[in-house]
Amino acid sequence: MDADALASMRPARPIGVAIVDDHPVVIDGVRAWLATEPRLTVLATGDDPDTVLRAAPHADVVLLDLRLHGRVVLDKLAELSAAGRRVVVYSEHSDPPTILAALDAGAVAFLAKHEGREHCVATVLEAASDRPYVAPALAGAMVGDSRPDRPMLSDKEREALLLWFQSMSKASVARRMRISEHTVKQYVDRARIKYSRAGRPAATKAALLARAIEDGLIRPEEIGIYRSHASADWPTP
Amino acid sequence: MSAEPELTHLPRLPTSRGIVPTPRTDTGRAATAEVRAGRAATAEVRAGRAAAAVARISDRGARIVAVTIALVWHLAIGLPAVLGYRTELAVPQVVIGGWLLVAAVGAFAGVRLLRDTALPALPMAGLLLAVDVAVFAAVGRPQLFSPANWVWGTLAWFFLVVLWGRPVRWLLALLAAHAGIALTAVALYGATGAADLARAGMALYGTSSLPVAVFTGALALAVSSRDRAASAAAANAMLAEREAAERARSERHDRLALVSGAATDVLTELAQGRADPADPEVQRRCVRAATRLRRLIAESDDVPHPLLHELRAAADLAERNGLPIDLVTIGTPPPLPVQIRRGLADPLTATLADARDWARLTIVAGPDEVVISLVTPDRTGPEVVGPPAEGRDGQVEHLDERDGKIRWTQTRWHR
Repeated sequence: MDADALASMRPARPIGVAIVDDHPVVIDGVRAWLATEPRLTVLATGDDPDTVLRAAPHADVVLLDLRLHGRVVLDKLAELSAAGRRVVVYSEHSDPPTILAALDAGAVAFLAKHEGREHCVATVLEAASDRPYVAPALAGAMVGDSRPDRPMLSDKEREALLLWFQSMSKASVARRMRISEHTVKQYVDRARIKYSRAGRPAATKAALLARAIEDGLIRPEEIGIYRSHASADWPTP
Repeated sequence: MSAEPELTHLPRLPTSRGIVPTPRTDTGRAATAEVRAGRAATAEVRAGRAAAAVARISDRGARIVAVTIALVWHLAIGLPAVLGYRTELAVPQVVIGGWLLVAAVGAFAGVRLLRDTALPALPMAGLLLAVDVAVFAAVGRPQLFSPANWVWGTLAWFFLVVLWGRPVRWLLALLAAHAGIALTAVALYGATGAADLARAGMALYGTSSLPVAVFTGALALAVSSRDRAASAAAANAMLAEREAAERARSERHDRLALVSGAATDVLTELAQGRADPADPEVQRRCVRAATRLRRLIAESDDVPHPLLHELRAAADLAERNGLPIDLVTIGTPPPLPVQIRRGLADPLTATLADARDWARLTIVAGPDEVVISLVTPDRTGPEVVGPPAEGRDGQVEHLDERDGKIRWTQTRWHR
């Protein structure tokens, strides 16, 4: 099920987005990007996550600048994710440790600020339906992950991530790997789903994983022990 | 959008697996610390080698002294006495034979010691003790305390030579054995009078104390010279490292000044309305300034790996010719031989020289694999699209592909 199908299912209510950033000019920029997509509507903006979410308690997706007033707000990100908020993090800090820390804290997706124009709308649309979207910077961080407890990726998944990070063109990756573009996206997304079991548990991670299993993207046994996405508690690793 | 890492306050999050999410500054520092630790380890090895060389050279002097004392004593004091009292000895053949054997052992050990080759210490020590017993037995009661019983004075110096470089306790054990043999002989010869015992005691003390002093002194000197050389070498290595880091820092500082200057100019012109945001040239200047700043912010290594250094230099050159270029590095490359580094970098720097409009250069490195990729717009059009050109230069794979939209050059090395 792609985003178009999702939109046709819910024609009455567009996807509500909240934007949290301490630079008004960035908020305006993001708003301009999102305005190109009629299925999206910006409900609230501001520089404080709590205030913004009080103004828009039903926002489907929160776009969060990782650095607010000089402070990296990984703790706030973790809190929101644990509460089931779908947070798309975007940051000018696109170094792998920051990206992986954001994923661990429960971010649904990560966008480097310079990737915004191209990937912002697609990321928000996918995030709203609990589906992964892997922009090149995130792919690079996953490929370069050398932490001892990193998820095990298959050779194909790793190669697809690497080539996507390098070329930023799924068509080129498909040609290089001699597979279809659809399969490239599947490899990349499966790698991302495996990360939903890394780091602290979060409602958003459970939702990502549940949706991936529902979509047939990944089988429960492929990502290790998994009891049931319907159970209230998250399986302890 | 400030980028100063010292402003970062990163809360530690408790996690169910006890894993603390690793924020940028911490891991960045941890990674550089790892690199630094690696470099420090190699520096330590180098310092260790230098220290060992210095210690060897300074120890050589002490060895020459020890060998000279032993042989001179044996020749100048032992030999005339043995020959002079030859007729008064109980079994002169054994005493003289023992003298010759010890002279041979001394010469052999001396040569090996000065050539720095290993000595069979235990068999030689055993041989010396056997000679000790034989000479005491063959010297006879009348000559027991005379200079003809040369083992009293000389043997300790030979112990010193054969045990050179071994722990002091070995020498002490050997001297104790020598004292035991001497006292047993004294007792068996019935020389148990107070005067005789005093003479034996004096002889043993007098002939042992000096070799022990020389032995321990030489050992202490060797250890301290090794320490001093090691710390000097470590200090030099640290100094070199600091200089390199300082150079990298000031280079980066200069580039930052240059880049900020360019960014400030274009921003000022925009603010004053002198530059038109719709002007493609103004847009290009903005893109160039932004990519340069982004690249500077991304550099986190103190002393760049030679491979990164080469690629950055190539990127800077391309940029000076007006090409906006993104350079993204993930991971730290392992130390690589020059040939592999060339194989990895050369195809990309060559392609970079023809690039127009934009370029994306990425390096993904782990301990066992380094993959470098350059993507630029393909200016040849779709007509020349063909299968990718593959090549292999030793351990490095090289792939060059164009599809009408992008030109993609990739080199890959794995262990």
